[in-house]
Amino acid sequence: MSLLSPAQGWYYKKVSKDEKMWMLISLVLCIMLFIWMVMWHVYGKQNPSSTTYKTSTTEFAQLAEAYVKKNMIGVDNGIPVVRPEPNSDVFVMGEMWRWSPVLVLEVNQAYKLHISSKDVMHGFSIQPVNMNFQVYPTYDYVLEFKPTEAGEYKVICNEFCGIGHHGMIGKIVVIEKDEDLKKYGYENFKKSTAATAAVGGVKQEISEADKVLLGEQVFTLKGCGACHKVDGTVLIGPSWKGLYGKEEKVKENGKVIAVKVDDDYIKESILDPSKKITVGFETTAMPPTPMTDEELDHIIAYIKSLK
Amino acid sequence: MSNSIQETGVLNGNVSTTNSIFRTCDITGFKVDLRSEKLIRANAVASVVSLLMAVVAALLLVFTRYQPVHLLNAEWYYRLVTFHGLNALIFWIIFFEIAGLYFGSTVILNTRMCSPRWGWIAFAMMVAGLVISNIMILIGKADVMLTSYTPLKAHPLYYLGVILFAVGALIGVILFFGNLMIARRERTYGDSLPLVTYGLMTAAIIAVITLASGAIIYIPTFLWSLGLIQNVDPAMYKLIWWGLGHSSQQINVAAMVSIWYMTSFLTVGGTSINEKVSRTAFVLYILFICLASAHHLLTDPGVSSAWKVWNTSYAMYLAVLASMIHAFAVPSSFESAQRRWGYNKGLFEWLTKAPWGNPAFSSIILAVIGFGFIGGTTGVIFGMEQTNIIVHNTIAIPGHFKGTVVIGTTLTFMGITYYLIPLIFRRKIVGMGWAKWQPWLFFIGIALLSISMIVLGQLGVPRRHWDSTFSGGPFTYNFNPAVDFFWTLMMLGGTIAFLSVCIWIGIVVVSVFFGPRVNGPQDMQLKISPLAPEAKSHKGFEAPGTLVLTLIFLLVFLALFFLNWKWLAATWNVR
Repeated sequence: MSLLSPAQGWYYKKVSKDEKMWMLISLVLCIMLFIWMVMWHVYGKQNPSSTTYKTSTTEFAQLAEAYVKKNMIGVDNGIPVVRPEPNSDVFVMGEMWRWSPVLVLEVNQAYKLHISSKDVMHGFSIQPVNMNFQVYPTYDYVLEFKPTEAGEYKVICNEFCGIGHHGMIGKIVVIEKDEDLKKYGYENFKKSTAATAAVGGVKQEISEADKVLLGEQVFTLKGCGACHKVDGTVLIGPSWKGLYGKEEKVKENGKVIAVKVDDDYIKESILDPSKKITVGFETTAMPPTPMTDEELDHIIAYIKSLK
Repeated sequence: MSNSIQETGVLNGNVSTTNSIFRTCDITGFKVDLRSEKLIRANAVASVVSLLMAVVAALLLVFTRYQPVHLLNAEWYYRLVTFHGLNALIFWIIFFEIAGLYFGSTVILNTRMCSPRWGWIAFAMMVAGLVISNIMILIGKADVMLTSYTPLKAHPLYYLGVILFAVGALIGVILFFGNLMIARRERTYGDSLPLVTYGLMTAAIIAVITLASGAIIYIPTFLWSLGLIQNVDPAMYKLIWWGLGHSSQQINVAAMVSIWYMTSFLTVGGTSINEKVSRTAFVLYILFICLASAHHLLTDPGVSSAWKVWNTSYAMYLAVLASMIHAFAVPSSFESAQRRWGYNKGLFEWLTKAPWGNPAFSSIILAVIGFGFIGGTTGVIFGMEQTNIIVHNTIAIPGHFKGTVVIGTTLTFMGITYYLIPLIFRRKIVGMGWAKWQPWLFFIGIALLSISMIVLGQLGVPRRHWDSTFSGGPFTYNFNPAVDFFWTLMMLGGTIAFLSVCIWIGIVVVSVFFGPRVNGPQDMQLKISPLAPEAKSHKGFEAPGTLVLTLIFLLVFLALFFLNWKWLAATWNVR
């Protein structure tokens, strides 16, 4: 009598045998589910970690950048490649819209991945093994992975992070022995390139050609390549090919004006990108990208070189 | 007030009206507050409009993710994902629930609406919220998804729209409690609330908790979008937001289960075989859903494993237990009544001789099946700490809640509307032939959609993702070739479900605005069953057929359970 008041004596009505049975089965099942989760922490090999550090986006970005600079062995499609030592701490950063660095891991070795974001939430999804974790800005999530099978894995982003979300894809390569590097075209990577050595070194006069090399490295490290291509293709942002010295139509305070792409304009576009927005890219605003004067100098040299 | 209008009962044929604000229903005998009836109608209309907007967006989304068509560009895809989520999960369902709360607290209790004026204020706020948020989304100022995780930022007016809607809904919930108080004081029902109203009351209590969580998180976020607050911590945001996002699903479940019991009463004259058990189960929902947001933080930094395991289960999953109890109590209420009507042969005569021609009945049975077998099983498995690793943020998650909130809640709401049209809108249903097919079509469509999404998710396909070829990315990835088959299946399912919703909306709109008026019981196309006769004795099993069905359900659950843990065990080690 669900639309009317219940029948007299409903409170004292005996529960039928079958309903009692079902409730008992259900309760046992529910308790088992809890015990199962606890036991998996003891005997299971897949448990999300409880280790988290509070950080800031700037702090983590600096850590990750320094880590990559120090350990980079090469570049794959504009993303730096790192081959960490087993049982070491590895920094992985998600940002709009790339994962950096590409990792070369050894099978059945453990690696402590520190994962965080430089901007918004991202989803760290390793395929095809299909393991998924949430990545926050300002939280450093430490997950100790031990790959159990060699092969090429991709890290796709599965948390919405803006208009370029679908192109955010990184790579993890799991090898059994050094010869396997050949399969991925990584066999010629050395421990460090000439350019990386120069960065770590003391201040010295650098030739224009070296500046271009260093600029390319900044391009890779800062993730400019997620939006800007250097071969003339227009992606989310304007291509850098032939950009230097070009007249660009930009919007400033809603008005369209023409500017010449020179050193000052490039600096302003990097440090305060929303001030002048290139016509045609209004919906894909660039995030401010902090850089040192040196880095700016190098990246300008790199852009100049892209004729 | 005369005594005659105090009488309650079904089909007593009383057509006199003794008070200007009331009419006495000539079909059910309930005393209907005309002011409340207008509010129920208005909220119901707003909900149907929201559903229409949601499903149009849904169709465009399905044909975008179906890569051979890839309909929308990235910008509009994400925009419409936000739009679809808000209109389907919030506006359609909450408008309908407010209508349901007014119905359950006035019509069923033969009482008056405590404050129709505030009812209209609430309605106006909710409509304003709907209009403002939808406009902000469509002009591209709120491409943040329904979840709007900070630091993604939308235009302040978007958050304001959501807040307005939530406050309006909260006022509606308060009015529900006001109505209960009046009914209690004036003793318009017996000693205990009818089960439906009791269930709705639990939904309303959960709604208060939920909407409070909403206020706690949306107000600072709104201030942050205005620049008055520096920072909204992303972990805090996600934790509290899901206090709204997940707990509100528990409102849906409580409201939906209430309607299941109501349908058993209307179609076969049944009731819970033990009301104390059913009522206790409703209370479990309130007590054990408080930190439901834990289910959304299982693979997140910030909280520990102990916190996650404890808060998703409280050691014994009592909210799941509540649903398991209803899973027996609802079908057994049908079975017990049918057996008392004489359909007593074998295990399943009660089911084969059930009123399948009644679209409300078929909707509810299909909703129970879909909710249990698709939504329920995946919900429990995906909600466990470790198995969440293999589904978190994949398309299996929306696949799961298509199984709960679409096959369960939406189909239930659609089904009960077939009774609301004659009883509340006082119109005959136009197109009964279509109505008989509509629930089946919807069930098949959403089941295909939902199951294929779950399989795609298990194969790693992400949710909320515009292009599975990763165009423009530095690398690419090819999913298991089986995905092509399931994308096609999903597209088919989505299309079928869309057509079914169109049929339903067509029936509702044509009936409500152009249908012939209902002038008495003779115009009633759907049967309202008298109470099933008393049972002779209660020895032994009261609902053996139901027990068999629930045991089958249990086996399916266990099979899926072990399958998922097996898949998990095959992944890399992580700790």
